[in-house]
Amino acid sequence: MAVPYKIWLSILVFIPILAMLFISFSNLSSSVSVGELTLSLAHFKLLWESSTVIAFRNSLIFAVATTLISFVLGYFIAYEIKLSKFKNKFILLTFVILPMWSNLILRTESLANIMSENNILKNILGFNLFGNISGTWMAVLFGLVFTYMPFMILSVYTALEKIDFALEEAALDLGLRPIKKFWKVVFPLSFKGVVTGAIMVFLPTLAGFAIPKILSRGRIVFIGNIIEQKFIYTNYNHGALLAVVILFFILGSILLITKFDKEGETLL
Amino acid sequence: MKRIILATLLLSLTIVLTACNSRPKLRLLNWGEYINDEVVEKFEAETGIDLIISVADSNELFYQKINSKTTAFDLVIPSDYMIEKMVEENMLIELDYSKLPNRGTVTYMDGVNQIFNSMTQTTLARSNKTVDYTDFAVPYFWGTFGIIYNNRVEGLEEALNEHGWDVYFEADTYFPTARRGMYDVPQFAYAAAMMYMGNNPNDYSSTLLGEVETVIENADFIEWGDDTLKRNVESDNLDMAFVYTGDYLDRLYIQLDEGKTLAEVQADFDLYIPDTTMVFIDCMVIPNTATNIDGAHQFINFLLNPVNAALNAEVVGYAVAYQEAFDQIISYLDSADVTKHNWATANSIYYNMEAERTFYPLTTLHPDDIDAINTMVQNVITG
Amino acid sequence: MENQKATLKDYGYRDFTTLNKIYKILKKIFVVAIVLGLYISIIVIAIQSINESRNLSIFTRVSFQWYANILQEEELMQAIRNTFLVSAIATVLATFLGTFFAIGLYALSKKVRVLWMLLNNVPILNADIVTGFSLMLMFRLLMVVFPNIFGLFTLVMAHLFFTIPYVILSVMPKLKETDPNLMDAAMDLGVRPYKALIKVVIPAIKAGIFSGMLLALTMSIDDFAISYFTTGAGFDNLSIWIYAVIGRRNLTPSVYAFSTLLTIFTLVGLLTYQFLQKQKKGKKNEKNNFSDIAS
Repeated sequence: MAVPYKIWLSILVFIPILAMLFISFSNLSSSVSVGELTLSLAHFKLLWESSTVIAFRNSLIFAVATTLISFVLGYFIAYEIKLSKFKNKFILLTFVILPMWSNLILRTESLANIMSENNILKNILGFNLFGNISGTWMAVLFGLVFTYMPFMILSVYTALEKIDFALEEAALDLGLRPIKKFWKVVFPLSFKGVVTGAIMVFLPTLAGFAIPKILSRGRIVFIGNIIEQKFIYTNYNHGALLAVVILFFILGSILLITKFDKEGETLL
Repeated sequence: MKRIILATLLLSLTIVLTACNSRPKLRLLNWGEYINDEVVEKFEAETGIDLIISVADSNELFYQKINSKTTAFDLVIPSDYMIEKMVEENMLIELDYSKLPNRGTVTYMDGVNQIFNSMTQTTLARSNKTVDYTDFAVPYFWGTFGIIYNNRVEGLEEALNEHGWDVYFEADTYFPTARRGMYDVPQFAYAAAMMYMGNNPNDYSSTLLGEVETVIENADFIEWGDDTLKRNVESDNLDMAFVYTGDYLDRLYIQLDEGKTLAEVQADFDLYIPDTTMVFIDCMVIPNTATNIDGAHQFINFLLNPVNAALNAEVVGYAVAYQEAFDQIISYLDSADVTKHNWATANSIYYNMEAERTFYPLTTLHPDDIDAINTMVQNVITG
Repeated sequence: MENQKATLKDYGYRDFTTLNKIYKILKKIFVVAIVLGLYISIIVIAIQSINESRNLSIFTRVSFQWYANILQEEELMQAIRNTFLVSAIATVLATFLGTFFAIGLYALSKKVRVLWMLLNNVPILNADIVTGFSLMLMFRLLMVVFPNIFGLFTLVMAHLFFTIPYVILSVMPKLKETDPNLMDAAMDLGVRPYKALIKVVIPAIKAGIFSGMLLALTMSIDDFAISYFTTGAGFDNLSIWIYAVIGRRNLTPSVYAFSTLLTIFTLVGLLTYQFLQKQKKGKKNEKNNFSDIAS
């Protein structure tokens, strides 16, 4: 019964990757005919361009920072949900996911709006909630963290939910204080969820382009912005090359998942 | 189980069937909110054709969508330099003016004709081919570029009027604390810098590229955006930005609609059009993938009617390309209707093309040069 | 002699009561702050939607005109219709296909299954823009045979591509939780395999199917990059339209109104569903209690 899906995945996942690899090494484009195709490393000099290097650096640094901060804040919220006496956790989780139903660009533009010097909240409240951080790295970080945190919260909560309460009771019975119990029992058992959540925050941040562009007012360039520009100006060779580099990070993350979760089935 | 499959199939079938209907369709690729809904309704009522509009926000995306042939667009409205590129790559079909009787009822404005001539000149110089672009294109809207500025800053208006481009680019000399913004289209940045240096923005060489890079670095731009530029100047979050004249008028009309007077708006933010500036023209063209060529001609003919062109301009803040339509708008200066009066006043001030100015339309550059410009701008932005 | 009575402190007991109180208050503040951070953009969108002025920085008066105006904005309505159409079709199909594929994958041997699950994760983890672009490449190849496939068809295919994995990932854990003997038991009782599947396995994994469906819908409705590259024939969805309009023209505040409405409806919908579930559970619990007493 899974045969059609196997075919589907093979076609839509393998072949495009091969195609992109090919495009990044060749000079294939709309103005080049088949007879003129050559393979070369010519496009690789793109990787040494200062803007590319800095963009990569930006993407990596922000992705790591976002992941760390989402982890701290997200785990906190997930744990609070678990501990909460509210009977229906599903409703609490719904509140966490609800913002994701609004269009990402609208949400980000709103954030950019209230982070500017003169904005609608300042008009209503009289003071500026965020100071004037629009265009700075703080704005981008805030936007990234609060956009992708729900993923972290969901992953961690799923893992926390599976922990048998009997284990926690046993730890308490054996004399551990709640804090110690958390670090020695709960946290290690939930680690799989943390890794999953981290990956689900890290990868979109790494490859993202809309959020940094809007919140930094175009000043902070991510590798995604460069890829987008290449694609828009139909410079597919360069775009494909950069995309392939990001693909390495993605494949690496998938392999990392399998180390922690042998079956790769509990991404959620 | 079988019932569920059957039900789903029936559902999908009904959806697909209701999506198709028997009216002929016309697929238009346009800028976002660049057509008056009333114009669409009127066209559909008069011709019985269903107008299906796709949007994209840059010429490059237009090119990509047409080139990838993923949709058989019948009509597209690109800007001057993209039209040049499309003609060069044989992506457009020649218009059949026998199907455009309304062409005889309008005269193109002087500036429009100048742009077409300029395009022919640059094509001749570049590839030794003589192309009459009116064979392929009919003007839709056109306009200039200007510097939208925050009039709340003391002395900015006077400085701009006296020194022009210098105030915008020389951040050390003029208003060092001013917040400057630029369009995130690298070619615009290049063109603006070239005009500041007194050059033709369509010249390119690697030496010039280096000089432009220094100029842009000195300008110290704090924002690279699009729509955000005009909004930020309006709300006092930015002081100067290089934008389409139509961008300014968009915000002007909104403010006028909400009860402000022209003077009040200008006191907050205004537009300065330099003596040397860019012009652009957006034209209706028919890609060679078109299936409903007759329908496309009908649409072009419909908009060649000055009444419809003026109707379109009522909502879209850009300049009409036909003298008759422009005259009709200017006639509203005497109108008792406040909205129409404001509209006419704005047009007479900001679309006054008769002053002694040098207007440059952008031309298409070689893809490698474009790539070099893109990379240069990225390098400046990233430090 | 001095009183040498040992205090609790000597036994290692430390008094945390005040610290705990402070901690509890801090925790509450922290939670509120984070929730505020998550919702601040939604709140601002809601404020813009009831702002009479189109100016995004100045709030003039409360007005609901933008809500009434939604139906007048032709481009917006078309984009909304397209979005719902695509997401509805894709979600329904993804839920069906995903569930069956998951069952099929579950039946495979572990090693093979792990390999395919790895591939299954790729659409989820891959960068939007890369997925969109590679799908476009593939569909363009098909264009040789079917010249008009770009449009609703390719868009639905693309959405299926990244939603089916989510369904599979939601269903798979539930499948693992079900008793493997269930199917055998059903068939032993004379039920044919296909029927056994539907009447026995699927109800057992209902929760997984539902959460998978929800996840698929969420990811599909807001997608931009993938839809952008794989759509055609004027079939722009809401995200594409917003991205195009916000770039060069003025976005009508009716978009904010629509977004707020969508948020409110979703919230109400999910809460109602939960409420109904609780009602059902309540009745079931009553029955269970009685049966406990009876036995």
